[in-house]
Amino acid sequence: MKNTWAICKREFLSFFTTPIGYVVVGVFALISGLAFVLSLMTYSKMSIEPAAYGYTSVPSFGETFLSPYLVFNGILIMFLSPLMTMRLLAEERHRGTIELLLTYPLRDREIIFGKYLAAVGMLLVMMCVIAVHLTVVGRFAPLEPAVLVFGVLTVVLMGMAFLAMGLFVSSVTRSQITSGTLTFGVNLVMYVVGNIGEKLPSKNPTPEAWPETVRNALGGTYALFRGLVMELPLDKHAKDMALGVVAPKDVGYYLLFTAFFLFLTFRALESRHWRGKS
Amino acid sequence: MIDVDGLTKYYGSIAAIDGVSFHVGKGEIMGFLGPNGAGKSTTMRVLTGFAPASKGSAKVDGYEVHEQPIEVKRRVGYLPENVPLYEEMVVRAFLSYVAEVKGIGRSKRRAEVDRVMEHCGLTAMGNRIIGHLSKGYRQRVGLAQALVGNPPVLVLDEPTVGLDPRQIIEIRNMIRELGREHTVLLSTHILPEVSMVCDRVIIINQGRIAAEDTMENLTRAGSRTLEEVFMEVVAKDQVLVDAAALGEPAA
Repeated sequence: MKNTWAICKREFLSFFTTPIGYVVVGVFALISGLAFVLSLMTYSKMSIEPAAYGYTSVPSFGETFLSPYLVFNGILIMFLSPLMTMRLLAEERHRGTIELLLTYPLRDREIIFGKYLAAVGMLLVMMCVIAVHLTVVGRFAPLEPAVLVFGVLTVVLMGMAFLAMGLFVSSVTRSQITSGTLTFGVNLVMYVVGNIGEKLPSKNPTPEAWPETVRNALGGTYALFRGLVMELPLDKHAKDMALGVVAPKDVGYYLLFTAFFLFLTFRALESRHWRGKS
Repeated sequence: MIDVDGLTKYYGSIAAIDGVSFHVGKGEIMGFLGPNGAGKSTTMRVLTGFAPASKGSAKVDGYEVHEQPIEVKRRVGYLPENVPLYEEMVVRAFLSYVAEVKGIGRSKRRAEVDRVMEHCGLTAMGNRIIGHLSKGYRQRVGLAQALVGNPPVLVLDEPTVGLDPRQIIEIRNMIRELGREHTVLLSTHILPEVSMVCDRVIIINQGRIAAEDTMENLTRAGSRTLEEVFMEVVAKDQVLVDAAALGEPAA
């Protein structure tokens, strides 16, 4: 536990002894601020003249402003997460400091959780930016505490999932550029895969001439695959939750996603024991 | 203190070290001598728990490296080749971090960092960024991080490479002094270094131990230089290696 904290502290501080921490938080603050102002302006126009936007009454604040704004922040973190995670293990390997790290009396879990928590720390710094926005808007419009808590939790959960995935990619790469690009690529695939899922036909695609049992088996597999593809996108599970409607399956999705990639990171780091090199 | 038995390590199908066995007693300075690519670094990496061995065992203070890695790592201070360091940190913060991961409590950490900095002549450099230091000072920082926590065993991989003559002498003196309280395993391909610093020498060639003896015996009490011994041993060993490669019985 103490060692985890030591690793976490060093890793977190090194975000801010190099430019990367300032760049990531700065870019996040800029874009998230722009999004905040623009969507707030649009919302105020809507509420003055609902009819012009096809609403019969003033649109719900949570649904038309807060939830899309929070999900957008989650997506923004998706774009920035490779910059936070790419160095975590790849840089150690590239600089050779991994030789120090792995010969200090540390357990794998202390190394992995320390590094992961440092990245989550960066995420919390970003949340401070969101907190400023929400405080500003909260002075003018009453925000439901539930919406607020779960809205922010959504963004944190989304971010944690992206960071876990990035940490895993960083653990199997040597160059930061490869690590960052790969993380970014996987993030994007996860993001667009939902559109593919929606395009997939819902009925059994096997020809009718095939025997019944084969059709059923293939059709069942296909339906499972389609269901998975449609449930996979990381932003899909955020929309409802950002409104304060929390379903266990959505929270579970993010937690399992995070746990899965942390598990893979363990296996990747452990593989040095049997692969013979690292 | 260090017991290595039949250590073998393959990279793919190539054996980097092949059946290396040796013993280093408490308080001894053991020189690990060999041409580049002979397997010095590989042996050290296995010994420090960084890389796994394919076969054989390595023990430090009775603990097997693969079975009780944490116990071994607590007892070994390691200076890797090329001295990898966190470039963006300042010296004091880095050493303090090392002290923390080596399990030195908050109250003693400051004193411990001061001790190793003084020992390695870094006291004036505490607030410098490691990336801005000269090669000689980087080497000292590397040595300092190995010394943090005062581990009984020190494994130093080519500690004098790339230093100027004055710095080399300083580092050598430092190592000789460390040998009074620590068990030191030191690798190098600089011959005079071994004769100046070490009590015993292992000559390693192509992953196998070609000779192991005290300095006295190897140089026949000074009648031969270590260069002569080294060239002779490596040449003799090479004949064996070549013969084995051709499938002929070794002469």
